Amino acid sequence: MKATLFNSVHYHGATPEGVWPVPVDNYSDDAAAESLATAIEQFRMADELGFDWITVAEHHFGPYSLTPNPTILAGALSQVVRRAKIAILGPTTPILNPVRVAEEFAMLDLMTGGRIVAGMLRGTPNEYVTYNVNPSESRGRFEEALQLIRRVWTEPQPFGWQGRYYQFRSISIWPRPLQKPHPPIYMSGSSPESGSFAARNRIGLGFAATHLERATRAAEHYRREAERAGWVPEPENIIYRLGFHVAETDDRAIEDLKAPTAIRRGTNISRANEAVEEAVANAGYYGANLDEQRNRSRNREQRTDEQIRGRIGRGQLLTGGPDTVFRQIKAIRDTLGAGVLDLTIAIQHGDATRRSIELFGTKVLPRMQAL
Amino acid sequence: MIEAPGAAFSDTEIEADGFRIRYREAGRGKSLICLHGGGGLRLSRTHDILARDRRVIAFEAPGFGNSPVNHRSATMDDLAATMNVAIAALGIERYDLMGTSFGGKLALSMALDRREPVDSVVLISPAAIRINPAPDIGPHTLHRHPESPEARRDPVPPEVHAKQRALSTRLLGPARDAEFEERLTALDLPVLVLFGTEDTITPPEGARLYRQVLPDCHLMLVYDAAHAIDADRPEALTEVVADFLARHGKFLVRQDSDLVYP
Repeated sequence: MKATLFNSVHYHGATPEGVWPVPVDNYSDDAAAESLATAIEQFRMADELGFDWITVAEHHFGPYSLTPNPTILAGALSQVVRRAKIAILGPTTPILNPVRVAEEFAMLDLMTGGRIVAGMLRGTPNEYVTYNVNPSESRGRFEEALQLIRRVWTEPQPFGWQGRYYQFRSISIWPRPLQKPHPPIYMSGSSPESGSFAARNRIGLGFAATHLERATRAAEHYRREAERAGWVPEPENIIYRLGFHVAETDDRAIEDLKAPTAIRRGTNISRANEAVEEAVANAGYYGANLDEQRNRSRNREQRTDEQIRGRIGRGQLLTGGPDTVFRQIKAIRDTLGAGVLDLTIAIQHGDATRRSIELFGTKVLPRMQAL
Repeated sequence: MIEAPGAAFSDTEIEADGFRIRYREAGRGKSLICLHGGGGLRLSRTHDILARDRRVIAFEAPGFGNSPVNHRSATMDDLAATMNVAIAALGIERYDLMGTSFGGKLALSMALDRREPVDSVVLISPAAIRINPAPDIGPHTLHRHPESPEARRDPVPPEVHAKQRALSTRLLGPARDAEFEERLTALDLPVLVLFGTEDTITPPEGARLYRQVLPDCHLMLVYDAAHAIDADRPEALTEVVADFLARHGKFLVRQDSDLVYP
């Protein structure tokens, strides 16, 4: 199995709760700079400790992530992270210019010597406000953009594109992706529609903001659809994202997580603005099984023992001493068959977080990679 | 009720080169000569839309449809010469050529035979240079949505299909024809080549070959269309074709506005 360290570059300071877009009333330049510096330092640590990948992602207009353009951070990391792959999971493809996305990934692939992993996501519902895109067209835009990006990466002659949502008269990007034919592509695959599309197009699948049982069902759907399309996904075709915190002992790990931090966890980005979330849901963004997809992001609090143990039980959080965490990882592998765990640090706990990354890298990662 | 595609087109014949050649015509203005694919003359909404701004003449090549079996055209060059005689017989002095699949090779051969009166050439899913020598042709591969009414409209009778298939196979020749491709390198005409991203008969990966051979060639991929782009995505196809016919290489530069409010 492989491990990737995901630091969302969460703003590490006090912020308003239950609102999106988030106003900057108490914004601190120092807190933002410190959040970014911590993230880069933790990515560098992960690289030195042997993590297989590191992960960056895109969110807008809030403290959840100070990387509205993750490719810019990936560009900086290309000069810091010397060995690990850099996974961009991902650009919110339907709200962006697909040719620009293809160009940026090609640049990064060159800058990293071919270490880019290309996640293509539809984003959280609120992202459709960001650049004023109708969420009812999200899936149509996404599917077309993905086909276009693949062509942009591989077509050797200048070509135009007469699409449904995109129109270009002539495209011929420089530089070209270093990996041939192009960097590996992943997409979010929690809904049946996404799993079927990924299987038909031989694209890897990522699960985030979900739980193990639901991800396992989605992965089974993906494998069935892949079989119909004439191929068998490898474990590495499935990424599972979850929180993690390792300490010397199980009790210590849970105590670490309960310690107060500057970041409150009352709301998450998908539901911080209920009117936006409802409008996007009504626009058909979630697809056929609306209720299940809509409720994916609930149950994310981890302030009490009960909440933390609940999240561990649902496969949403790896927490404990190294042996315990390794057992939790094996259980996820046996149930889901994911080949890559995207280990998320959303909340910083100072030295405890740094120690957690070190412990994971030295005591858990080698055993996990041998699985 | 919505009229069937081509309802506004007349249906006539003209004597040329010893053949009686059927053609259908609509619209006024600059002439666009359309050459059909191996399945025969079949007007689509693409022809209707293009005829709003120009004179569209869609020929039925001798040996297709209900015309007698064509034993005389031994090669595509023979057929091209015949079609050029027909155009001259109609008194058309300047025109653009638009060929689909089989008609793509015919259009190129006509331009090679008679370059002067041709302003530009549009090739839709052309079969002139092929990377797929043995395509599986039928409604399931011609159309992105074989279940659609358009894909199921007016099926070709089996005896007509067999006649057309034999003729188009003979005239198309080999998938790659070095001598023909060499002649194309000297064809100094603006050419627009369009392929559907879902085309399995002439896959879009073959598009690049046209650009490598033709000196003034623009490639266009039409998303989510199969081989019959004209039936699958007529609005997307006609927008770019009309713009290219009007502006040739200048069509790369947009002219419409993004202004939201004045």
